[in-house]
Amino acid sequence: MRLRVAGTTYTGAVVDLRARNVDGQTVAASIRGRRCLPAVSCPEPPAVYAYTGHVHPSMGLRTRTALAAAARSRGYETPQDDAIADRRAKLAELECSPPELPDPVDPVSESTIDGLQEAVATHRGRLTARQAVGADDEAAQAALRDAATELSELETQRAAVSETRELRRSRARAYRDTLEEQRRLADELANLRRSARATLVDRCAETFARAIDAVPGPVPDSPFDADPVTAALGVLRFAKTPAPVVLETDRFRSPTAASDCLDAPVVRC
Amino acid sequence: MLLVVTYSRPARRDLRNVCRAHEACVVRQFGRAALFSGTEFGAFQALRLHEKHGLDVQIEHVEPFEPTDVPKHVRKAAKRYEAREEPATPYERFASGRDLPDPDQLRGVDL
Repeated sequence: MRLRVAGTTYTGAVVDLRARNVDGQTVAASIRGRRCLPAVSCPEPPAVYAYTGHVHPSMGLRTRTALAAAARSRGYETPQDDAIADRRAKLAELECSPPELPDPVDPVSESTIDGLQEAVATHRGRLTARQAVGADDEAAQAALRDAATELSELETQRAAVSETRELRRSRARAYRDTLEEQRRLADELANLRRSARATLVDRCAETFARAIDAVPGPVPDSPFDADPVTAALGVLRFAKTPAPVVLETDRFRSPTAASDCLDAPVVRC
Repeated sequence: MLLVVTYSRPARRDLRNVCRAHEACVVRQFGRAALFSGTEFGAFQALRLHEKHGLDVQIEHVEPFEPTDVPKHVRKAAKRYEAREEPATPYERFASGRDLPDPDQLRGVDL
């Protein structure tokens, strides 16, 4: 590794920064590519570094999850892997942004339309009656025309309203169908990942127990009851660790001893 | 009544909160859905959720239902099918040869 802290460049598999006022969390974030400073050049850390890349006394650890990630770093595979990749790809494909909907429109009152239909019928009756007796029908014709025009406008408006309504409903439904599909896939993915994790933990439980025995720290009743620091060290000893591990613990005699025990490059903070 | 269905975690959380705070307008609460009373206040609460969460909140008008709201032949079909002797018989096979509507026929007719 190559690490640059405030103008000084450190190289090699073991770097001791105890004399420098450097925060271990910052260094660990840089190693994982979450920060640019301090500048670190080292191999890409595998996913297990998200759990155990920085070992310090106040850490917490989901041991099984970390152990599963460690098993992945060693190239372990599970029968669920194909299904996991498949669900991931499907989830990534699902386009799920809310659609544009036309604005909602107020409905046309049915009673207004009924009233107008009645008015048209009345005017038509009056017109027929006047024409039958040969009376002047100009006013009756005009009244009929006006009412008919108004009715037809309202009917057009009603058709437009129902079209808008249908469009809003169908777009919303398609969107919600996608959300449901997304939820179903996410559930499936979570279940698959859980069982993959269980498979991995099962397969490396014995190796992990030996690692727990080999790292310094209090001896737990069972490997999975180990305190977070011991568990993290056990996980790291088992994991493939090409990138430097940040240690902020006094468990080891020296940073070099730590590097030997974990078979990993080490930054001691 | 108004059926309010939520499609995201935040919408679901707010639905739960509304149900807790305004029990009187909640007829029934299910996991991520609830039935609100058909009052302006029920609609107000449903619309609040819709304003906040957009399409992640679906609101539907729900009408009370009685079996008698459905044509007689549908009721008869349901009754006779549920009284069948062979539990494994699918409805389609059960209906054919009897005086019962076939499923496609039922599918094509709006209530």
